[in-house]
Amino acid sequence: MAALPPDPADQTETYLRLLTQHDRWLAAYVYSLVASAADADDILQEVKVTLWKQFAKFEPDSNFRAWARKIATHQILNYRRSEKKRSVSSSLDETFIEAVAAELDQRADALDLKAEALNLCLRKLPEAHRKIVVWRYYEDCGIEEIAVKSERTVEAVYRLLSRIRQVLSECVNRQIAPAP
Amino acid sequence: MKTSDSSLDRIQRALEGLLSTEEHDALKADVIRDADLRAVYVEQVWLHSTLRAQSESLVGLLDITEEASPIQAPAKPLRRWPIALWSAAAAACVTLAASFFMPGKGVSPLPQVATLIRAENCRWAGSDLPTALDSQLGTGKLALVEGIATLKFKSGATVTMEAPTTLEILTAMHCRLIEGTLTAEVPEPAHGFTIDTPDIQVVDLGTKFGVTAGSAGNSQVRVFEGEVEIGGLKDGKIKRLTEGKGLHVGSGNTLLGQEPTRGEAVQEAGGWTAIPTSFGRGKDGYARRGDNGAPMGTHPLIIVKHTDLAPGIKNERRAVITFDLSQIPTESVQEAQIVLDPEPSGFGFSALIPDESRFALYGVTDEKLDAWEEKQMTWATMPGCNDAGPDADKLRKLAEFWIPRGGSGGPLTVRGDELAKFIREDTNGFVSFVIVRETGETDPSGLAHAFAAKEHPTARAPLLRLK
Repeated sequence: MAALPPDPADQTETYLRLLTQHDRWLAAYVYSLVASAADADDILQEVKVTLWKQFAKFEPDSNFRAWARKIATHQILNYRRSEKKRSVSSSLDETFIEAVAAELDQRADALDLKAEALNLCLRKLPEAHRKIVVWRYYEDCGIEEIAVKSERTVEAVYRLLSRIRQVLSECVNRQIAPAP
Repeated sequence: MKTSDSSLDRIQRALEGLLSTEEHDALKADVIRDADLRAVYVEQVWLHSTLRAQSESLVGLLDITEEASPIQAPAKPLRRWPIALWSAAAAACVTLAASFFMPGKGVSPLPQVATLIRAENCRWAGSDLPTALDSQLGTGKLALVEGIATLKFKSGATVTMEAPTTLEILTAMHCRLIEGTLTAEVPEPAHGFTIDTPDIQVVDLGTKFGVTAGSAGNSQVRVFEGEVEIGGLKDGKIKRLTEGKGLHVGSGNTLLGQEPTRGEAVQEAGGWTAIPTSFGRGKDGYARRGDNGAPMGTHPLIIVKHTDLAPGIKNERRAVITFDLSQIPTESVQEAQIVLDPEPSGFGFSALIPDESRFALYGVTDEKLDAWEEKQMTWATMPGCNDAGPDADKLRKLAEFWIPRGGSGGPLTVRGDELAKFIREDTNGFVSFVIVRETGETDPSGLAHAFAAKEHPTARAPLLRLK
């Protein structure tokens, strides 16, 4: 028997629910694969539009993430190809994105746990470091702006940010490690 | 999983867009090829991206501080702007940052940034900040004339000033050493604590270190523990110094070695006559074992230093001063004094010398040696000295004097009957003195004491006072 066309109102609601649920994950996924923040934002926007356009093809009981991931990866590769091409590295870029995407897929569950642990670890940071995190990620300041704000050199800000990320990474791994 | 620090560094630099296109491509190729590196890359990039993705929730991080932060996060800029607006956003970030630190324009009252937690035998010059123990300090200047004082910054950094030192406090993370010596201890939350000198910028990367800024345009940094980064160098490069390492920068940012207009002998009240080395054919200078950059006769400072450490160390320094007495009737002199103005040398740290340093003043008895030349004198040709020290056949010890650690507090006066007697014995119209430090040091980076020479742009030349 042929499936009934989905009720548009229902479909919208389902789409929004799923998207809200996976919004951060999707953003992190796209950001992971696109180095430039501005590009990533544009691509993410495109991915969401495409997801919505093709939502009719999504099977309600299947894995939303796997589906969204496929569309996002495809979108990112399209974006890369349509960009003014750096002929030397466009094939490198594609291979790279595919390799990293595969790795992300493979580690998806562990990474989800880490994303949850991250909030706890952020709160453990000393105040000065939390401020740097807020500047970098909430206010979208690049390290040069942070250097101005915190009266440090660019190199010192880079070192500090690296150390903060390292501390967070270690903390997150401790959080999700099975109890001894 | 094991990844080298350099791989991690490459990844982190990639996240901040600090890699060149070629370096980034090389990293991509390595990530494709190397499964271990790929795993680390994905972990790091995921963390970075998750922070970006959940940035909306991050502002709550600032609410969990116990202490009200003087810096309020501005309203969240609307995301998903057209690309053209991104650069405008970046500019706005800078503008906001500037307004936070602009006194008088700030969104908060002038913050208290440090506390004076220790003050030993301190004497302060006119200062725009309070100098009582436990005073809360805002931004402004502190001039320590005598003693040792310790400031604890709100960032956690501790700075100890050794007189004579002038320091300007800018923020809890930043101060400017105008002149003098300080040591800093910086715990982890305050990493990035920065000290400017006239020549360089020292950025802490987690450490204990010392900085000196000399009045003659030179700065020195020494890392006791950890690591610092030096910026502001002439070549625009950034240098990193690790534990035990030091750096000396002589930028000559201050007026260097101008021959002064020849001074007058001054008649003072009470029958005293004061003769500076700038009077007549007077002269002053110093020499350093090894003669790096010699001769030092026209330097604005005369510098003395002594070490009992390994003989190969070339940081022994002695000074010579000569006064022109040709216009002065010396045979009737009853009393004599030599006045020296201590100045920060910019070399070495008080922490590395004993509590008190003993100096000796020698008179040059062989009058032929009065004819030394400022532009030619070197270690080997210093009047009355050989490599090992003063030569007893040509010099006579006239007096000893002491300078406590943390400075003597203003001009130093050396007096004594031997000095007056030596002046009376003069036959050629010139008297010369050799100044040596007799106290050694515990480390080659011990303080080099300095006094103003006649070429000093602001301080007073060595003075012979006679009555």
